[in-house]
Amino acid sequence: MSKSLLVISRQAPWSGPSAREALDIVLAGGAFDLPIGLLFMDDGVFQLAPGQDAKAVQQKDLSANLQALGLFGIDDVFACSHSLTERGLTPPASAQPMDSAAISQLIDRYDQVITL
Amino acid sequence: MSTLHVVSHSPFTDGRLASCLRVCGAKDAILLCGDGAYALHNPALHSQGVKVFVLAEDSQARNLPVPDWASSVDYSGFVQLSIDYDKVNTWL
Amino acid sequence: MKFAIALFSAAHAPSSRRALLFAQAALAGGHEIVRLFFYQDGVYSAANSIVAPQDEQDIARQWREFVSQHQLDGVVCIAAALRRGVLNAEEATRYQRSAVNLEAPWALSGLGQLHDAVQAADRLICFGGP
Repeated sequence: MSKSLLVISRQAPWSGPSAREALDIVLAGGAFDLPIGLLFMDDGVFQLAPGQDAKAVQQKDLSANLQALGLFGIDDVFACSHSLTERGLTPPASAQPMDSAAISQLIDRYDQVITL
Repeated sequence: MSTLHVVSHSPFTDGRLASCLRVCGAKDAILLCGDGAYALHNPALHSQGVKVFVLAEDSQARNLPVPDWASSVDYSGFVQLSIDYDKVNTWL
Repeated sequence: MKFAIALFSAAHAPSSRRALLFAQAALAGGHEIVRLFFYQDGVYSAANSIVAPQDEQDIARQWREFVSQHQLDGVVCIAAALRRGVLNAEEATRYQRSAVNLEAPWALSGLGQLHDAVQAADRLICFGGP
C-alpha cells in the first residue's frame, strides 16, 4: 500500500514560487496515483480567496492548477479555519475547513508531511 | 502517531512556531534549531506542555542556556529523534 | 532506517549545512539514504559555480564530495533548477544558455523522484529556511 503524503501550503499566492511549487508536488503525486492531501494554512489560505487577478501583477493564475486537483484524483483538500478567520476569509467551497485539533489529527493520519 | 516538528525560524520575527504550537498533538515534540533556538527565551513555549528539544550547536553558538524543560541533542541525537517519532514535519 | 532527505535552501543557508550534517550522522549511524532531493532554492546547493568566501565553509563543495564519496543518489528538481538558472550541459544547450553550473554527481529529474523516495523511505526529512 502506498504511503500517504500531506502537503501544507503556507505561503500567499504570489510571495515567490512557493505556492506554485507546493501545488506542483501535489499534482505530481496525483499523476502517480499516490494518496496526497493538501492543507492551506496561514497565508496559504489567501490562495483560495475569490476574485483575484493574477494578470494585474503579471503572475501565473494558480486557480487553473487548483481546479486541476480533482482531475488528478486529489480530493483531500483542506483549509485551516483559524487562518481563514484571522484573515477575514469565508471558508471556500473548494476546501474542507479544519480547526487546529482537526489539523493535528490530520497530520497524524498521513504517513509523511511537507510544510512549505 | 507522533510527530517531531522542526522549527528553525526565530519566534520573535516569524509565525511558524505559533502555528506549529496550534497544531501540536499530545505525543508530539518540537526540535528547535538554527534561529528557532531563540525560542528558549520564549516562556510561552514552556507553558504549552509540549516536549522541546534543541540542537546543541545552535544553543551553544548563541549562548542560550538550555532550561530544564528542554533537552539538548547533537546530530546523532537528531537522527535518533527522527526515528523515535513516527514522522518529521519541518516548518520550512 | 531508510531516509529520504529533501533540501529546500541554498548552500549559504544554515539549513543546507544542517541537512549535510544530518545526512552524515545518518550514515555514521548505519542508516541508509535512499535519495537526496533538492527542490526550490535547494537547487543552488548543487550548483558548481558557488564561490564561497575563503573564511567560510564551502557547503556546495562539501555536498558534492559527500554524494560522490558515498555514491548517493543526488537529484535536483529540473523545474526548480531551470527557473533558478541552474543548468546542466544538456539543458544549457537546449535553452541556449552560456553557463553550465550543474554536473555530476548531481542528476536533474522531476518531482516523481521525490515521490518515489517518499515511498521507498521509512522517514522523509526536509530541511530549509534559516
